[in-house]
Amino acid sequence: MKKRKQKIALITGVTGQDGAYLAEFLVGKGYLVHGIKRRASLFNTDRVDHLYRDPHESGGHLVLHYGDMTDSLVITRIIQKVVPDEIYNLAAQSHVAVSFEEPEYTANADALGALRVLEAIRILGLAAKTRFYQAGTSELFGLVRETPQSEATPFYPRSPYAAAKLYAHWITVNYREAYGIFACNGILFNHESPLRGETFVTRKITRGLARIALGLQECLFLGNLDAKRDWGHARDYVRAQWLMLQQSAPRDYVIATGEQHSVREFVDCAARELGLELGWRGKGRGEHAVVASSSGVSGKLKRGKTVVRIDPGYFRPTEVETLLGDATRARRELGWKPVVTFGELVSEMVREDLRIAQRDALMRRHGYDSPDPHE
Amino acid sequence: MRRALIVGVSGQDGAYLSQLLLQKGYWVAGTSRDARSNSWTNLRRLGVHGRVHTLSLDTGDPEGVARVLEETHPDEIYNLAGQSSVGLSFERPLETFASISLGMFHVLEAIRRLGLRARVFNACSSECFGDTGENAADEGSPFRPHSPYAVAKAAAYWAAANYRDAYGLWVCSAILFNHESPLRSERFVTSKIVGAACRIARGSGERLRLGTLTIVRDWGWAPEYVDAMWRLLQQELPRDYVVASGSSSTLEDFVREIFAALDLDWRAHVEVDPALGRPSEPRCVRGDARRIARDLGWSARCRLPELARRLVRAARESA
Repeated sequence: MKKRKQKIALITGVTGQDGAYLAEFLVGKGYLVHGIKRRASLFNTDRVDHLYRDPHESGGHLVLHYGDMTDSLVITRIIQKVVPDEIYNLAAQSHVAVSFEEPEYTANADALGALRVLEAIRILGLAAKTRFYQAGTSELFGLVRETPQSEATPFYPRSPYAAAKLYAHWITVNYREAYGIFACNGILFNHESPLRGETFVTRKITRGLARIALGLQECLFLGNLDAKRDWGHARDYVRAQWLMLQQSAPRDYVIATGEQHSVREFVDCAARELGLELGWRGKGRGEHAVVASSSGVSGKLKRGKTVVRIDPGYFRPTEVETLLGDATRARRELGWKPVVTFGELVSEMVREDLRIAQRDALMRRHGYDSPDPHE
Repeated sequence: MRRALIVGVSGQDGAYLSQLLLQKGYWVAGTSRDARSNSWTNLRRLGVHGRVHTLSLDTGDPEGVARVLEETHPDEIYNLAGQSSVGLSFERPLETFASISLGMFHVLEAIRRLGLRARVFNACSSECFGDTGENAADEGSPFRPHSPYAVAKAAAYWAAANYRDAYGLWVCSAILFNHESPLRSERFVTSKIVGAACRIARGSGERLRLGTLTIVRDWGWAPEYVDAMWRLLQQELPRDYVVASGSSSTLEDFVREIFAALDLDWRAHVEVDPALGRPSEPRCVRGDARRIARDLGWSARCRLPELARRLVRAARESA
């Protein structure tokens, strides 16, 4: 029997949350996965190290290249060398709040980065071979024009991050229409996991509460508690990314759970996982959460202790108050639906952060410094 | 004396806007990438060269943008700079993005950082709407850009809106539909048609080859459009407007009127060559400018066929 040729995928941003889950997923499917990572003085591959060190039995494994989305030459050279069947463009300055601080870098990496990859596909004559996935975002909907948001909802970006992603979205559509590249935008609503960066609000909550439960941290400071998001699990979402590139024709898809929760609800849910019931007091900037009751791992926390406060420094110059996705098209055409529920997502994240916090507590008890990195 | 800074002054709109602002008594500064070696053809043609204080600026350089703002202390800033050809944007997508989108970011960031109170005008484009079909696009219509040029303009538009919302900057965009004049370069199809038709009228015997005749556009007269730009900055609060003639025509209509203005029958001189078409192009772009008519009292007076007569007259005078 003739062995089918191994498929080759290239993932930009392979060291991020989605890059790691996608690399693992594709290796499991038998792909040879190439990833692009930025050069850094410190190790930055912890999310994919398990794939790198332990090449998969089926033959699939991971190859890493140094590269930066702001460097056209490197992007083009890697694509020329790898000749991928599929490119997943996940690399980005992906933090909305940071984009207000670094708007130009965000535009360069997120908007021009996508264009550089598309141009490389075109210039290298790979338009008929290489399929392209662009990681879009629900932040495009920003100040929402309708609820829920589907592929037909007009965009209203509310941050330099969203404006840059808007460019990436439309330039992807344009290269599909102009040059016939099999290019898809996934408009992904928030998707989280234990691999989420520590500066994103969900991870900040699960990590902060786990550390508070064990007495490693006093209080968790948050911004807009009323922001409502549609949160799914990254593992479910990378499957949708892959599915988009397996269709007979390229199209853009909203990927979402269709369920919405506020940041406050996320906090409550995470606290309960730790045996903690919170009571919310005060209003506006003075709002805070106190311990109403505690048991299990957080049993040592005293009733009435304030564990969550507002820091207006985390408010954004322009907030996105509510996002809720309608993934009907993905359900119908890709047969995709999320497997992990909101409760399971929060539970998994808390469990993982509790494990890390317990390790830190153990180290401290034995006289070692435990790392306590800050934003 | 009110002070205006026109970023990108050497193009068609920059020249007409300089003329208008000088007439209104403004002190006018204008930038171009290389002010010293620029031949300033458009400013000379309008007789305003020498009255505009010219400076070199590449809007890709954030420090340069900040320096020019500090040097000129403008009350009003008009950002017209950028790679402005849709066709060329397919060949130079990166340069197009850098000059249009990053350029706008640099202007906005410089104002924010320096704490300036200047009002800012951003020149957005009807190309952002993409194909509007039969329904004319107004300020509420969603964008669906069809070229690297249009995608870059859409990003700049949202950057302007975001800095207004986020930091209270006084900035607004006009979504300008096609506006023509004798100062348009021959890279634009309208000027190409006028140029060829005039040569044919003089007996060149050439044939005019066009990629398509069926696209629908809304064409206006550029000097009227710079007046709309100025009016946008005189509003009490910054608000975005569609600026269009409100009447749309096919490219065939445009060709017919240009040749008719020369007493020629276009059908004897024009051929369609699809190879000249763009990789992707909106078929139909119609504009609805009722809001600016109502709020700012602006409406286009010059449309086809008057527009064709003016373009032909100017081309003949300069030939």
